[in-house]
Amino acid sequence: MRASSDDDERVNALVLRVAVVVLALALPAWILLSLIVVLGRARYERARRQSAEKALRPRESERLIRRVSRNPRTEWGRWRRVAALTRLEQAHHPSVSGLIRPVLNDADPRIAAAAIRTLGDIGDEWAIDLLISALRVGSSPRSRVAAELERLAPSPGPKLPQLLRDLDPAVRFWGATLLGPYPDLGEPSLIALTWDPDPNVRAAAVETLGSRSGDAVGTAIRASLEDSEWFVRVHAARAAGRVLGADAAPTITRLLADERWWVRTAAKDALRGLGTEAVPSLLSVLAHDDTFARNGAAEVLQDVGFVDFLALDDPSSPLLARIYAAGGEKLREAAEVRVDGIVVEGVRAA
Amino acid sequence: MILDVLGVIVLVCLGYLLLTNVVYVALVAVAAVENGVRRHETASQDYDVLAKSRFTIPVSVIVAAYDEEPAIVSTVESLLALDYPEHEVIVVNDGSNDGTMDRLRDAFDLEPYEVFVRHVFTTESVRAIYRSSEHPNLVVIDKVNGGKADALNAGLNVARFRYICGVDADTVFDRKALLKGMRLVVQDPTRIIGVTSHLTIAEDPERSMAAPQGKRPIDRSPFMAYQHLDYLRAFFNNRLAWSKLGFMLCSVGAFQIWRRDVLEEVGGYSRTFTCEDIELTFRVHERFLRDGRDYEIHCLPDNVGTTEGPDTIPKLVAQRERWQRVIDETVWHYRGMWFNPRYRNVGLLGVPFYLVTEVLAPAVEVLAIVSLPIAIALGVFDPMVFGVMIAAIAFLNAALTACAILLDDLQSRTYRPRDLLRLLLLAPLDLVLYRPIIVWARLKGSWRFLRGDKAWHKFERNVRAEA
Repeated sequence: MRASSDDDERVNALVLRVAVVVLALALPAWILLSLIVVLGRARYERARRQSAEKALRPRESERLIRRVSRNPRTEWGRWRRVAALTRLEQAHHPSVSGLIRPVLNDADPRIAAAAIRTLGDIGDEWAIDLLISALRVGSSPRSRVAAELERLAPSPGPKLPQLLRDLDPAVRFWGATLLGPYPDLGEPSLIALTWDPDPNVRAAAVETLGSRSGDAVGTAIRASLEDSEWFVRVHAARAAGRVLGADAAPTITRLLADERWWVRTAAKDALRGLGTEAVPSLLSVLAHDDTFARNGAAEVLQDVGFVDFLALDDPSSPLLARIYAAGGEKLREAAEVRVDGIVVEGVRAA
Repeated sequence: MILDVLGVIVLVCLGYLLLTNVVYVALVAVAAVENGVRRHETASQDYDVLAKSRFTIPVSVIVAAYDEEPAIVSTVESLLALDYPEHEVIVVNDGSNDGTMDRLRDAFDLEPYEVFVRHVFTTESVRAIYRSSEHPNLVVIDKVNGGKADALNAGLNVARFRYICGVDADTVFDRKALLKGMRLVVQDPTRIIGVTSHLTIAEDPERSMAAPQGKRPIDRSPFMAYQHLDYLRAFFNNRLAWSKLGFMLCSVGAFQIWRRDVLEEVGGYSRTFTCEDIELTFRVHERFLRDGRDYEIHCLPDNVGTTEGPDTIPKLVAQRERWQRVIDETVWHYRGMWFNPRYRNVGLLGVPFYLVTEVLAPAVEVLAIVSLPIAIALGVFDPMVFGVMIAAIAFLNAALTACAILLDDLQSRTYRPRDLLRLLLLAPLDLVLYRPIIVWARLKGSWRFLRGDKAWHKFERNVRAEA
């Protein structure tokens, strides 16, 4: 037998009490939140029509300055500080230069990154100096600082070569990287950095030298093709293709047999960039002991159009058979599909 | 005796309901803080600089496509149009039976090329690799069917860049999707190893994405609107909070950014689970926490694209039962993490949250569905009390939904105000109009998990308007 219907009543009373409390909280919450959504959106649409460039009222700017001057402890507070700083900068308020330093030194790199963006927007000599100093200190994300400095090109250029002599390898790295768009600056230092003890610095120097020309640059890049670090060889292979052209093809072709996959990939990219000028070197490795070298050579010959040329001109040519032997059956099938139906008069003469 | 048991069951069900809703309310509070921080972060972000900078890390985008003929061209077009300094798009046709490959060949002028790649992951055999004469950054891999995970692994073998973005073939992306996803990564690539972001849902994603920001419509059908609300709740009320609390356990398949070395280290996407996304996220957490390494996986509130939602109830059930199955499979597989302090917040909060709110939910729902009507019929439970309880749950649910709508609107201001109002008004009826379908799908998924079913049960694509 059951104890009594009292138990049922107790259960019902308990459930009812809980349900009523929940309903009493949830229904007004739903109404209130709905109103916030609808009215908030209407307010946003109204505010959006007003320009961000609009001059600040004195009271508003005082409030924003107070907010930026405080040192909030919460993440939320620090972001409100950044928002206030951004608003002041948008209104070109003169106080920004004095207020930005503490935000730039914030321990949270995301907050510091927001200050870096503001400096990029300001973009004058003072802002560039502060960005370069931020690059040296490294408390904020250096890639963000570099992106802003690059955005401000050519103004930061003359201030960059000094970074190549910094004791911190990370600063030398970014100095070498940022000199990319300045072909007239820092060449001797960059060449010297191809012998830097830090491989990241060597890689950055080689990459930047890849956009230059001249014998000294060529010699430095050629030496870097033999670097002990694979990622330096990656940059050297790409740079060699650009700087040395067809002269470097035999050396780059050797890298198709490198022990590291990414070096072989970079060598293929560089050889592709040389186009048909790389063909003689590539043909010489079709019978290489290393499978990757043979495959790589056949792939580049395909990509520069040499395979299609032979397949159209003389499908039974022994040279084409050698390439197919090096590249495998799929390379042959793909070539046959590509040239299928193409009729070109006088290919041989071409 | 039976009536006593019934009373206890009713109390257990209500206790469960109360507990889960208290947890949801707590998560909303955390999500609101996280959303505010991300909103400020987004406002201080200069996407134009990021889009032009050579220091923005290149990304390989991998699209796994199986029988995606209606959607594939618009998806690939949206990926090729992404505003990003350097990215490649790798489409993997996973042995489709329809015209997916033909559509790709025609739309992008594809030609076969032999490409020698690293075979880091073993996959089903690749038939051919195609390049586009129009788009140098497009590669199409045509391979024998092996499932989505296998297709993504085939794409990984070909990928050239350090970061991978796995996406679904039925999703149309915002032009800034990659910039939004990578904005955190570029600041700290050593620690941030995974990112996912908010996606919305529509019957026809292409049409939805064509509308400008602030004027984007939400599908008129309440069925689609409820799915939209479901997505909003999942992203804004849950995943944002998980992200803040350090247990982001579901990097969604439609948009998941990973550092490639992490994927290689954990063995890539797994073929042994029904879906690949949740399991991979669990696996990465498990590996990094076991090794005591510093890392972060985030979910961002930025809207990166619109994915296709099922437009009929059977299609929705097929999709959701699959999701339930993969959750069950994954949580069971990683049972060693349950309440294990070695796995910090993931083990102590994240996995137990999944266990209670996702894995056990169907069992409690069955109990409630069976016991409540009997309890009412036998007089144990007063129908009036039941009515008040349903109203309380409906409005609690509606309040949580309104929070999600508010967080989304604060973040993106994407939708027309009148559509927001419609969503708010639909919210209280979610419990009676939409939730029963999801309960049914979850029950089906749990049943199939117990039977060991691992088939994909792909739903048929919606019919799209002609361009």
